[in-house]
Amino acid sequence: MSKFNFPFIKETNELSNLRKEVREFITTCIINNEFRPSPDAWVFSADPSFSKKLGSKGWLGMSFPKEYGGHQRTALERYVVTEELLSSGAPVAAHWIADRQSGSQILRYGNEKQKSSIIPRITAGECFFAIGMSEPDSGSDLASVKTKATKTKNGWKLEGRKIWSTGAHLAHYMIVLARTSPASEKNRQEGLSQFLVDLSLPNVKITGIPDMTGQRHFNETLFDNVELSDDSLLGEEGKGWKQVVGELALERSGPERFLSHFTLLDSFINEFRNSLIYSGTKIVGKLISEIQTLRRMSFSVASMLQNGESPETQAAFVKELGNKFEKMMIETLREFSNIVPLHEWPNQLQNLFEDATLRIPSNSLRGGTTEIMKGIIARQLGLR
Amino acid sequence: MIEELEIIIETTSKILQKHVNHSLRQNIVSENTDILNLWNEIEKNGLPKISVKEKFGGYEISFFSILPLIKIVNNHGTPLPLSETILSNYILSESDINPPNGIVTFATNTKNLQIKNNMISGEILSVPFLNLTKNLLIVHEFNNVKKAILIDEINGEIIHKKNFLAEPRYDIKVENLNIAEMKPIKNNIDFNFLGAILRSAQMIGAMEKVVDLSINYCSERKQFGRTLSKFQAIQHQISEMAVELSASSAALSTITELGLSEKNSNDTAILKIRAGFAAGKIIAISHQVHGAIGFTKEYELSYFTKNLNSWRNDFGNESFWEEFLGKRFLKKNNQNLWEYLT
Repeated sequence: MSKFNFPFIKETNELSNLRKEVREFITTCIINNEFRPSPDAWVFSADPSFSKKLGSKGWLGMSFPKEYGGHQRTALERYVVTEELLSSGAPVAAHWIADRQSGSQILRYGNEKQKSSIIPRITAGECFFAIGMSEPDSGSDLASVKTKATKTKNGWKLEGRKIWSTGAHLAHYMIVLARTSPASEKNRQEGLSQFLVDLSLPNVKITGIPDMTGQRHFNETLFDNVELSDDSLLGEEGKGWKQVVGELALERSGPERFLSHFTLLDSFINEFRNSLIYSGTKIVGKLISEIQTLRRMSFSVASMLQNGESPETQAAFVKELGNKFEKMMIETLREFSNIVPLHEWPNQLQNLFEDATLRIPSNSLRGGTTEIMKGIIARQLGLR
Repeated sequence: MIEELEIIIETTSKILQKHVNHSLRQNIVSENTDILNLWNEIEKNGLPKISVKEKFGGYEISFFSILPLIKIVNNHGTPLPLSETILSNYILSESDINPPNGIVTFATNTKNLQIKNNMISGEILSVPFLNLTKNLLIVHEFNNVKKAILIDEINGEIIHKKNFLAEPRYDIKVENLNIAEMKPIKNNIDFNFLGAILRSAQMIGAMEKVVDLSINYCSERKQFGRTLSKFQAIQHQISEMAVELSASSAALSTITELGLSEKNSNDTAILKIRAGFAAGKIIAISHQVHGAIGFTKEYELSYFTKNLNSWRNDFGNESFWEEFLGKRFLKKNNQNLWEYLT
């Protein structure tokens, strides 16, 4: 079992300088009260004007080609920027999906018109995306989607429902996985295609679904015979499954899989540093060792992406380990309350802790469940 | 140098493939000619002195670059202290002592050590494979000076022989034993760190084997009309082993690339914590999926899991290094966690 390596990648001086630059920018924003650090900010905290600001700094679409307004920088540079944004709890939700996966997906599979009309706007922080994968009856079993696209004289007619789409109410587009021909008996993964759907089209109806924290980020989107133009097809007809699998590697391997609640850990340590020196060195050491290992692995995957490899399995490793770490971290902090009782924690820290506790069940569901990650790994080990 | 190392790794794999088997592991005594033949073959290829300076007849390949070799040696479950010899010889050579030929083992711990007139007395603890050699390295600090001590005619009273481990280990009490050579160790050589790195690389090699054994066993063993590998409950357990192993390997590759310096001493702590934790999970799961056969002496799984159990406790267990890491960070009052991590 030495198939899945995560080669060591060094953070060069250029990368460290970029890190510093982003950090200074964020510090200034916090001082100027432009945002308040929040947990799970890449899902919950959307601020289009902040996204635009990042765009003007050149920190969105970093690896996209210059001809589409991108910056032709490396996936490692993008990695460093995302780490800094996540660890500070900056409001990045508006552009997150577009910058992380949709833009790359369009660059890889899109036609010229799709690229030139959309990519420059993503890079500027002006165009946001939602994911159109899950449906009311298709969660983990993604190949069972029923949303259907039928060929018409002028293009396609889209019919069906997508669900759990974070930020669809703010997004301009959704990449929708739909069936374009019936599934064959043997291989259900055939006959699926991806579509680039403008969410402002007639007959698209987006309804919010409050999650258990009471906040809205989830949506259900109804496509009630939506007329799509011919060039809404993204990539090749019938190749949607292969395309979507590549997209998931981008979705699963990033530092959001272990830094979603870093602001909580940071505040916790700042508050209790002195008591931790006496009674919590071990727990702090454990957390440090886990974060550093995850950072190493995720950085290594970024380098694989940079080299044009397809690290879908490695991405599953990072996600699985990252999800486990975040749950362990919250449990660890909770247990510390035998040293300083929870009700004596400063209010703001109590809020962060309660937020994290409420939100943590979703971390091993979104982007593919633990069960799916383990299934992917088992398949690669030759067990399925 | 990298090419040279690759050739060495390939030859080593061939030798081990040919000579190591489970019956050899069950008879680790110096009277076993197969054991001695294997050692001779290994020595002929220069492996024991791979990280020894050229002037002492070694290959002078950095100890950190050869960690992949340590992994392979232990992936084969080689019942010889080759890993211990490589590290001992490296430390001796770095201390400007010419390493002897043959097996060199080390004292994992000591108690009440005293030196007088170039003679040593005290308790020398948890020495692996002492039954195969007379050469022993002891690293000890006297009056704030760390010293490498080479003994080449060890004898003493065995006070404890540990049989529950796969490899033979001995605690011995010595009195006025002659010291062959003794020299101060360079500042940058820390035995506890190097030992932790060595044991982690060994653990990762062994864990790779344990995961492979589990995959193979579950792909062959049938119950309820299908192989165990077709049960999702089994698949998920094996995936969990793979995840733990890959995290440990990632931590090891950091050390292989960066080595050990003041600046990255945290990486050793992270490696030992990660590998030790993974070993705990992997021991439990591999035995669970193997059922009763894994619990027999005849089947090779237990050779590896017993070793894992002893290596995770050597040179600081997870708690030891967690405290080291936590304390180190918390004492830097001027730095918040993220600054410290990056």
